[in-house]
Amino acid sequence: MGVNIRFFIGKGGVGKSTTSALTALNNAHLGHDTILVSMDPAHNQSDIFQRPFTEKPKQVVRNLAVKEIDLDYWMATYLKDTQAQLKKAYSYQSAFNIHSYYKILKYSPGLEEYALLLAFKNTLQTEKKRDNIVFDMPPTALTMRFFSLPFISLIWLKALLKLRGQIYDKKGIISKIKFGKREIERDKVKDRLKSLIDDHIQLQKYFTADGTDINLELNNDHLSFQEAIRIRQKLADIGIDIGRILINKVKNGELLEEITNQFNGYPICRFPLSSGELYGLQSLKKYTLEIPLFAIPNPVGEIR
Amino acid sequence: MVSFLDRIQRKIVTVFKTTDAVMRNRAVETVEYELEELDNIFGILVLGTFIGIPAPPIHITMDLLPLMERELNLMLEKVSTAQDPLGDLFSVLGID
Repeated sequence: MGVNIRFFIGKGGVGKSTTSALTALNNAHLGHDTILVSMDPAHNQSDIFQRPFTEKPKQVVRNLAVKEIDLDYWMATYLKDTQAQLKKAYSYQSAFNIHSYYKILKYSPGLEEYALLLAFKNTLQTEKKRDNIVFDMPPTALTMRFFSLPFISLIWLKALLKLRGQIYDKKGIISKIKFGKREIERDKVKDRLKSLIDDHIQLQKYFTADGTDINLELNNDHLSFQEAIRIRQKLADIGIDIGRILINKVKNGELLEEITNQFNGYPICRFPLSSGELYGLQSLKKYTLEIPLFAIPNPVGEIR
Repeated sequence: MVSFLDRIQRKIVTVFKTTDAVMRNRAVETVEYELEELDNIFGILVLGTFIGIPAPPIHITMDLLPLMERELNLMLEKVSTAQDPLGDLFSVLGID
């Protein structure tokens, strides 16, 4: 995997969109082909850069493109594909009235994070030639569901595959006794389960690969600090380690020592509180110039 | 004479084959019942979201649904015998 993947995660309001925009801008300035992807349904990047973005990447400056994930589009596309397969497979679909059921399926719990995963997979495929992909993630709840979905899915998929294996073996026994030879057709469900397992293992690998960098962001206040501790723990529970701590809107004194001690061993970047609002390309550029020791993570994971 | 013996032989072979098939079918009846139950459990596990029991993440159900027409059908069939599971079991075991 040649491309560097950067996630910006943390409590809502800590400044993930701004720091991911600054990082992407800095990476582009250093000559690395970068795309900034807004995964947050609230989509602040269009406000920050003061221009509309869509699913189609839009070039903002040299080496930097931005796109916003449209979750509704990914949910609709997924449901449409499944429905088409269902129509093909089921001869009596109308008997179950599944067609009308699809209208409410988009409100099913879990579909939002799956749509996010589909968009993530698609971005990796379409943008693999770039040097960096920077993901501006949604607030904690959806982000945690996004990261844990492959993990939870794999638990289910492996259990279902085991049961399916038992069913397949029993079919083999019946065929052997009845017809004297083990002659059973390929189990499509078993094949699909195997392919889903491979897909989810691959997704898990993306989250833990060397080129992946998870930036956990917080402010030096108690609420975001405590939430950051919980995020780190929950990610560790599913085998994902964070790569860096970003302290944004740093004000002097408060909690800084405690944060440093708590996250001892992790690289820590500090983004000082800006004197003005970080709004528009010029103010972002100005902010990077204002601070001589500006610690933006660079594309090879070091601190400038 | 040869033709008569041939006919006898063919009849014996037919009787033997039929007996063999019947015995083989009887031998797998219980395994087939067990298989049907396993298929039903698999269907309930995957499609649990449709009947209000804990289910896998929705995308797993959605991905497998087009391939599970038989299991869905089986679940519906099972509904009719759900009130009398012992009766269903006894009929498989040949208990009157």
